[in-house]
Amino acid sequence: MRSRASVIGGMVALGISFLVFVIPFAFIILMTFKDKRQASLLDFSWPASFNLWDNLVTVISTRNWMLVTAFVNSTILTVASVTLLVVFGAMVGFVLARRTTRWNPLVEFLILAGLMIPPAVVPTIWLLQGLKLFGTLYGMILVEVAYNLPFTIILYRAFIATIPRDLDEAAIIDGARPLDVFFRVILPLLWPVTVTNIVVQSVGIFNDFTNPLYYLPGNANATVQLTLYNFQSQFNTAYNLLFTNIALITIPPLIVFLFFNRQIVAGMTAGAVKG
Amino acid sequence: MAGLSLRSIHKSYGALPVIKGVNLSIDNGEFVVFVGPSGCGKSTLLRMIAGLEDISSGELHIGDKLCNEVEPRDRGIAMVFQSYALYPHMSVYDNVGFGLKLARTPKDERDRKIREAARILKMEHLLERKPGQLSGGQRQRVAIGRAIVRQPEVFLFDEPLSNLDAALRVDMRMEIAKLHKELGTTMIYVTHDQVEAMTLADKIVVLDGGVVQQVGSPIELYQRPANLFVAGFIGSPKMNFVPVWADKVEADRVTVSGEDVINLTVETDGKAIGPGDQLTLGIRPHDLVPSSTGSIVGRVVLVERLGNETIVSLELPSGVNWLAVLGGDQPLKPGESLALAANASKANLFSSDGTAVKP
Repeated sequence: MRSRASVIGGMVALGISFLVFVIPFAFIILMTFKDKRQASLLDFSWPASFNLWDNLVTVISTRNWMLVTAFVNSTILTVASVTLLVVFGAMVGFVLARRTTRWNPLVEFLILAGLMIPPAVVPTIWLLQGLKLFGTLYGMILVEVAYNLPFTIILYRAFIATIPRDLDEAAIIDGARPLDVFFRVILPLLWPVTVTNIVVQSVGIFNDFTNPLYYLPGNANATVQLTLYNFQSQFNTAYNLLFTNIALITIPPLIVFLFFNRQIVAGMTAGAVKG
Repeated sequence: MAGLSLRSIHKSYGALPVIKGVNLSIDNGEFVVFVGPSGCGKSTLLRMIAGLEDISSGELHIGDKLCNEVEPRDRGIAMVFQSYALYPHMSVYDNVGFGLKLARTPKDERDRKIREAARILKMEHLLERKPGQLSGGQRQRVAIGRAIVRQPEVFLFDEPLSNLDAALRVDMRMEIAKLHKELGTTMIYVTHDQVEAMTLADKIVVLDGGVVQQVGSPIELYQRPANLFVAGFIGSPKMNFVPVWADKVEADRVTVSGEDVINLTVETDGKAIGPGDQLTLGIRPHDLVPSSTGSIVGRVVLVERLGNETIVSLELPSGVNWLAVLGGDQPLKPGESLALAANASKANLFSSDGTAVKP
């Protein structure tokens, strides 16, 4: 029989989770139904009138359908960055885990430096301008890849170290060239880490606000997080529209989580009990 | 089909030499076993033949081709690993066919070869499964199938049975022997298990410390070991040794004595020995028989009665421990004194540098 303390502890934990995760979400949903007047009260109340459809239309069509452009941009940015991160992260992790040279300590130092040293915005802009990449989606993709690569590499390298070298050697004897070994044997086995990477990085990049703000100016280049500014100004904020916008741009990360959630758990247990 | 020849092969990791000059020639179709204790370099030597390790110096010929710098895929070899090294994400069918796929073999030919290999190894029913759904023995079969399908000139086995349980190991050993007979291909097999070596090999290569100690047929190694290391390594239980000196030297026999041995005559070539020389006497536990007039007397320490034979552990006067395997059931008790006689033609003498005195 469970003790009273553990039951109370469980209740408290549930209560805190409810407070932290469910209340804010419910607040967003309620706000999307309100009109501007009621929303500006910013209270936790039942909507007095049903305005969801009007809010949606206004949010999507504001500033010449900016949200649509933003969704396209953010999707391209996220998919391209995460693809490059997965391919390069796994490749670098593979080489670092398999080949020991005197350059390894230097490479490891650079990876750690990439994690620890805060990115310098102005020099980066100067460099992007010099490369004629400033204010372009390509430039933004490169910036996101550069910022997130160290973390990806570290995740991959730790996992690749657990894959027996015999597999590489068996493939080499079977006639595999280095790229065959990587793409046909190693990369498929990295699926659990790849899923983790896809989820963590795509949510991070999709929700990134500051980096697109610095490196991707211009209405045509807007990403979803920047559209939040459409409804916020110093003297006048349309809270019903702002929260409708928030609800809309929360949907894609939610789908990613729902889609990969089972696989993350499966991947983690598969790694844990691997015979 | 091809033989191999290794000429003065060396391997070192940095300043540390691992293989110190191996010369070996292997004929076409031979089953050669590399055997030795852990760390003797047998696996390294095999991996050098496979092309997974660079050769520091020396020449490796497979067939007539110098293969030092040839990629593993072009050497005409196939290898079976101790850990099986099956690709976990592929079905058995794809595992076996992976090499063919990489070589861009047409699909119908590939299918035919995979099914042929599966038939030889009796694993047709396993083709659709993933390696994770197979038992150890089945995985080993798949690993061998992957090797067969490449139709190599030389098969390399790196301790393929050491992950299997004892009963399965005996079965797989017989299957490998059968496979060798069926395919007639050159096979090189690395093991630390001397029973595998004795039963499978046409030729055993005993390695220690990166040096070949002796090359020969299993029985040759058992009956005429070239030195103390081979004598101690081959045969189970291991050979008994005791220091002696030469008493009386004749052309074809030498009489030795020592602290533990009195006037034992050994049939051997007397020319290499002078009276008074320090020698080591080696006698296998199976070559000792109880005899009241025996020249070796010891105190019984432990008796293991197995019914068909009795294994006796003896302490000789100098404190050396010997084993004797006596036929039948011998009702001996610890603490008793036991006199043993040795078969003169089966005893071995080793000179002070450890090499055998030739019979």
